[in-house]
Amino acid sequence: MELHAVDSLDAALDVLATRGERCQVLAGGTDVMVQLARGEITPAALLHVERIEALRGIEVDGPITLGALVTHRELAKGVLGDGFRSVAESAATVGGRQTQVVGTIGGNVCNASPAADTVPALLVHDATVTLRSSAGSRTVPLSAFLVGRRATTRAPDELLTAIGMPATGEGSGDVYLKVGRRSAMEVAIVGLAMRLRFDEAGTVTEARVALASVGPRPQRATGAEAALVGGPLEPDRVDAAASAVLDGVEPVDDLRATAAYRRRVVPGLLRRAAGICAQRAGR
Amino acid sequence: MELSFTVNGRPAALEVDAADTLLGVLRDRLRLTGTKEGCNEGECGACTVLVDGLPVDSCIYAAGAAAGRSVETVEGLSGDQLGAALQAAFISAGGVQCGFCTPGFITTLVAVLREDDKPSEDEVRRALAGNICRCTGYSQIVDAVAATVAGRVAG
Amino acid sequence: MTVIGERVPRADGQAKVSGEAVYGVDHEEPGMIWGALLRSPVSSGTITRLDTAPALAMPGVHAVITAADAPDAYAGWVLRDQRLFASDRVRYEGQPIAAVAAETLAQARAAAAAIVLDVEALPAVVDLEQAMTPDSPLVHPDWESYVPAAGPDFPRHGNVAAECIADPPGVDEAFARAYRVITDEFVAQRQYQAYIEPKSAVGIFRGGRYTVHTAHQFPFNVRDRVAQFLDVRPSAVRVVGHTIGGGFGAKLDAGLEPYAALLSRAAGGLPVKLVNTRTEDLLTCPSREGAITRIRSAVAADGTILARELEVIADNGACSGEMPWLAAIALHCARGVYQGGPTRVTARLVYTNTAPTGAFRGVNGTYLYHAVERHMDHIAAELTLDRRDYRLRLLFGDGEELLNGQVLHEAGILRQGFDALEALAPWADLEAGRRPYRGIGIGAAWWLTNPGPGSAVVSLREDGTAAVVTAANDNGSGAVSIGVTQIVAERLGIPPEDVFVTLPDTDIAGYDGGSQGSRTTRAVGKAALIAADEVVEKIKAVAAGLLEAAPDDLEVAEGSVRVKGAPGTRVPIAMVASTALNTVGPLQGTGSFVTPFPDFNPSCASGLLFPSFPTPTYHVHIAEVEVDPVTGTVRVLRYLVAQEVGRVISPDGTYGQVSGAVAQGIGYALHESLRIGEDGRYRERTLESYRLPLAVDIPRVEFVALEHPDPDGPYGAKGVAEGPVLLPAAVIANAVCDAIGRPLNSIPITPEEVLAAIQS
Repeated sequence: MELHAVDSLDAALDVLATRGERCQVLAGGTDVMVQLARGEITPAALLHVERIEALRGIEVDGPITLGALVTHRELAKGVLGDGFRSVAESAATVGGRQTQVVGTIGGNVCNASPAADTVPALLVHDATVTLRSSAGSRTVPLSAFLVGRRATTRAPDELLTAIGMPATGEGSGDVYLKVGRRSAMEVAIVGLAMRLRFDEAGTVTEARVALASVGPRPQRATGAEAALVGGPLEPDRVDAAASAVLDGVEPVDDLRATAAYRRRVVPGLLRRAAGICAQRAGR
Repeated sequence: MELSFTVNGRPAALEVDAADTLLGVLRDRLRLTGTKEGCNEGECGACTVLVDGLPVDSCIYAAGAAAGRSVETVEGLSGDQLGAALQAAFISAGGVQCGFCTPGFITTLVAVLREDDKPSEDEVRRALAGNICRCTGYSQIVDAVAATVAGRVAG
Repeated sequence: MTVIGERVPRADGQAKVSGEAVYGVDHEEPGMIWGALLRSPVSSGTITRLDTAPALAMPGVHAVITAADAPDAYAGWVLRDQRLFASDRVRYEGQPIAAVAAETLAQARAAAAAIVLDVEALPAVVDLEQAMTPDSPLVHPDWESYVPAAGPDFPRHGNVAAECIADPPGVDEAFARAYRVITDEFVAQRQYQAYIEPKSAVGIFRGGRYTVHTAHQFPFNVRDRVAQFLDVRPSAVRVVGHTIGGGFGAKLDAGLEPYAALLSRAAGGLPVKLVNTRTEDLLTCPSREGAITRIRSAVAADGTILARELEVIADNGACSGEMPWLAAIALHCARGVYQGGPTRVTARLVYTNTAPTGAFRGVNGTYLYHAVERHMDHIAAELTLDRRDYRLRLLFGDGEELLNGQVLHEAGILRQGFDALEALAPWADLEAGRRPYRGIGIGAAWWLTNPGPGSAVVSLREDGTAAVVTAANDNGSGAVSIGVTQIVAERLGIPPEDVFVTLPDTDIAGYDGGSQGSRTTRAVGKAALIAADEVVEKIKAVAAGLLEAAPDDLEVAEGSVRVKGAPGTRVPIAMVASTALNTVGPLQGTGSFVTPFPDFNPSCASGLLFPSFPTPTYHVHIAEVEVDPVTGTVRVLRYLVAQEVGRVISPDGTYGQVSGAVAQGIGYALHESLRIGEDGRYRERTLESYRLPLAVDIPRVEFVALEHPDPDGPYGAKGVAEGPVLLPAAVIANAVCDAIGRPLNSIPITPEEVLAAIQS
C-alpha cells in the first residue's frame, strides 16, 4: 500500500483525479486506521490530507464555515459559540481526548457511520457540505450527501473540503444528547440533536430533530419537527413530538442495544432535549 | 516511504510502509518499548504519545503522518519538568499498580497540564476518558494529578 | 522507627512510570522468532481437513505444529481434561488447532492464516440447564477416562464437571412450617479480567529443557501445566517471570506458554515469542464464569431464616482449569454473613462449548453475594423490615459456626464494619436523602486469605542491603514491591529502598503459590519475615563478638546492631555482613510458610474440594446510586467500604486494592457485558464493545480500614485485595432496585433492563 502525503488542496485533487478509485482519504486516521487493521477496508493507497492548511479554517462571522480538518477538540471547546452547542457537545463525545485532538469533522462526516455523533448536530443546523474535485466544486445538503450506512455521494475524485451552517437567529437553543453505557468512550446507542427557535411570544417557529444510531444513517425526524412548530412548547406539543419522533424509522437491533430499547429511550430523550433547548433559548 | 521525524528531541529516519502505525515504529523499530499496546484499536490509551504536543493513540496513528513532526514518548518525558513531576507524583500517590497503562496516562496528562495548569478533578477525569486503568479505580491517579498541580503552583 | 503502616514508595515505581520496566510482552531473546496460533473459528465441530503444507511453504516459516506433533497427553490444574491442540473435535471458539513459528510476527500470522482448515460444525452446548439434561450432547464424550491432576476423583458426571452438595437434615421440615417462603433466581454473566497487557510468552528449548519467559501470576503452576502438556517432569521446565501488566486471576493457569515451548523445540531451539491480539485474549481468557443462582428461604414472621436452599449452576466452559476446586465456595457463601437455619446447597459446574472459565478476583463470590444480598433485600421488603436493621439482627457474631462446621471466632468484626459506615454515612441520613430515582444499597461479606505455600531467602549483603529471593509475583498490587519489601526492611532495620526482591524464577526460588486470593503480603511476607528473623539472629551472633556483648542484649535497628539501652554502642550491619563472610560465612536465612485449613466437618457435603476459608476477613459496603429515568443508565454517587485487613502494612497499597476492586465490581455490575450467542461465540469481542469503567464512571471510594492484627500474619497482616470485589454488584443492584422500586436480578444491570422496568 502506498501513502500519498500532500500539503496542498491541488495536490490532493490531482491524486484523486487519477487514483481516486483506489485511494482512501486519511485525515486524523482514528476511523481509517482501525478499519485497515481489522481488514474492513483494503485500499491500494492512502491519501494523507491532514497537512492541508487551507482546510483548517473556521469562519464564525455570519454563516459558519468549517474546514474539513477542524478537529473535534476545537469544536468541543465551543469555538462556534452558544448558537452551536449541539455541535460542541457532539464533538466532545467522539472518543477520548486522543481521538478528539486528531479526529476531524470532515472525517466524521465522510466515514458515514450510522452512529456518527457530529452528524445529527450538523443536520439540525441544516449543514451543507462542499466537495471539490479538479473538475470543480459542488455544495449539497448534508442530508442528501449521506445516503446509507457508510455510504455518501462523494465521487472518487472528490474531497470534502468544507461544512457550512447558517447563523442561528435570536431565540434559538440547541443540544446533543447521547446514550451509552459509560459516561464517555461510547459509540452512540442513540444520539439525538435538537434545535428550536422561538419568537418573542414563545411560539416555536423552527424545529430540527435528528437521530444517530437508529437506522443506517443519521437522519432528521421530520414528524417530530412538524409537531413542535406552531405554538408554545407545552406538554401536549412535546408529547406529540415524542410520539412522532420515530415515525418512519425502524430502529436497529445491534450489539450495542435492541431496537426495543431504542424505541423506549428516544421519546424521553426528545422531551429532555426540548426542555434544554427552551432553556438555552431563554424561553 | 522514508519517515524522518524527531523522537524525544533526537532525529530518526527509517523506511516505513503506509499501513505501519506509529506504535509499531516506536516499539519494534526504535526499541522504545515504554509505549504499550493494549488494544490496537484506540480504546485503552496505553499507547498514547505526543505528536507535536497532541496526545494521540499511536496504535491508530499512521507512522507516515508523523513525518517532520516531533514525537514525545514516556521515555522522553522523564527529562521534561512536568513529565518528571507527574512521574514522581504517580509513585508517591499510589497511582501505579501494574503500571502497564501508566505511560499512556503520563503522556496524556502532560498534554492536559500543558494546556490547562489547574484543571478541576472533574476536568481531569474527563480528560482521561481515553485512558483505561484496570488496577487502581483511578482515584490515586487523580490524586497524583492534584499533587502535580499543587506542586507547580507552589513551585 | 517503623516502616509498617507508613507510605513507602513502591520499589518498581520509577521503572514503571518512566517506561523502563520490561513487561512480559516486551521481553526478547537473542535470535528470537515469532509464533502465531490457528484457532478454531467455531465453538463445536469436527475437524475434517487440516493441511499445513501451504503454511510451511510461506516465507520465513520455521515450523508448523498440530496435535500430531504434540505428546498424547491430557493436562489440567484440577482435572486433566485438556489437550494442547484440538485433534479431531473442537470444543470452543478460539481453541488452538495449530501453531506456526516464523521470522516475523506478520509472517507467522500470515502462515497461520494459510493453513487449510475445514470444520464440520456440530450443535454447540451453550445453555446451562440443557447441558444437564440426559439428551444433551456431551462436551466430553470421554469424560469418564479423565483423571484428577492430584488426589482422589470427585463427584462429576457427563456435562457436570464438578458437583458439591450439602443436604443437612431439617430443611424440608422448616419449609413446611414457614410463615413465608421467599424465592429468587439470579443470573450473572461472565466478566473478562481485561488486564491491559495481553498475554504473551517466549519459549526456549535448550539442553533438553524448556524455559518459558512469561509475565505470570503463578510461575510454578505454569511449570506444572507445561510439564503436563509436554509430558515431561516438572523440573524439565523453567519458568522465568517478568513484570506483569495485570492479571486478576486470568494469568494463574498456563496460556500461551506450552505453545511457545513446543514451537521452540520444533524450530530447532530458537526462542519463539507468542503474543495474543486483544481479541484472541478476550475470546480465550478464562473469564469469570456465568452462573444461575436460585435461592429460597423459609422465614418466620419476624424475619428469622428457618432454612434455605441454594442452587448454583456455573459455566465451566469447554475444560476445567481451576474451577472444580471452587464449586464448594457456594457452601461457604450460601447464608452470606447472616444467621439462618439448615441450608441445602447444590453447586454444579457445567461443561459448555464455550471458552473455559477460570479465576477472577473474588472467585464465585461476586455472584453468590449478589444473590444472597439481593435475596436479603427481598425478604426485608416482603416483611416490611428496614434492610439495615434486618441485617444487623441476623449478623454473625464471634464464635459463629458455619455450614461446614468452621467456626468464625472474630465475626463480631462485621458489626464494627456496620458501625464504621454508620459514622461515615448514617443510614437514616441516606434514607432521608432519597428522592425519585435515587437509591441506596447495603451488604456484607466474609472472605478468605488464600493459604497457599510460599518461601523466601533473605541475604544480607556486605554493604548492609538485603536481597530477597522468592518466586512470589507482584501482579501490580504492591504485595512484593511494597509489602514484602517493607516487612523485610522493618525486620532488618534498614530502609525499604535497600531491600531488593528478585522476579520469579522456578529454577532459583522455592515454591510459591502464586499471586492469588490476597495471599502474597501475608504468606510470602510471613516467609520473608521468618527468613529475616534467621538473618537477624545470625547478625546478632556475629555482632556479639564485635561489640563484646551477649546476643540477647543486642537489637537490630536503623542500619546498625546496638546494645539495648546503650544505643551509642553499635556497629553498622554492613560491617557485620562483611565480617561474617570470613568468619561464619555469608548471612542468609530461609523461610517457608503455609496456612492450614481451619477445622471443618468433612461429612457436611460431597465434593468438598475447598473445605474451609482460612484467615477470614470481613467486609461491609454501601452504595448510593442515581438512575436516569430517560435512559436507564446508572451513576454511582457514593461508595463506602469498611473492611477488616488485619493490619495495614501500606496505606497506599491497601487503599489501591480496595479502590481498584470496587471499580472492577462497578464494571461487573453496570458496564461489562460479555454475552454468549446461541452459537457459543462471544458477542463482545473488542474493548470497544467490552466496556471497561473509566475515570468518569468511578467515584472516589470512602474507605475505613478495620485492624485486628492476625497473630500468624507478618506484623498482623491479612489478605486485602480480593474481598472488596465481592459486594459492589450486590449493593449496587440493591441500590438500583431501591431507586426504581422494582427488582432486577441479572448482572450486569443494563440500561435496557432498567428502562424496561421503569416503564413497566
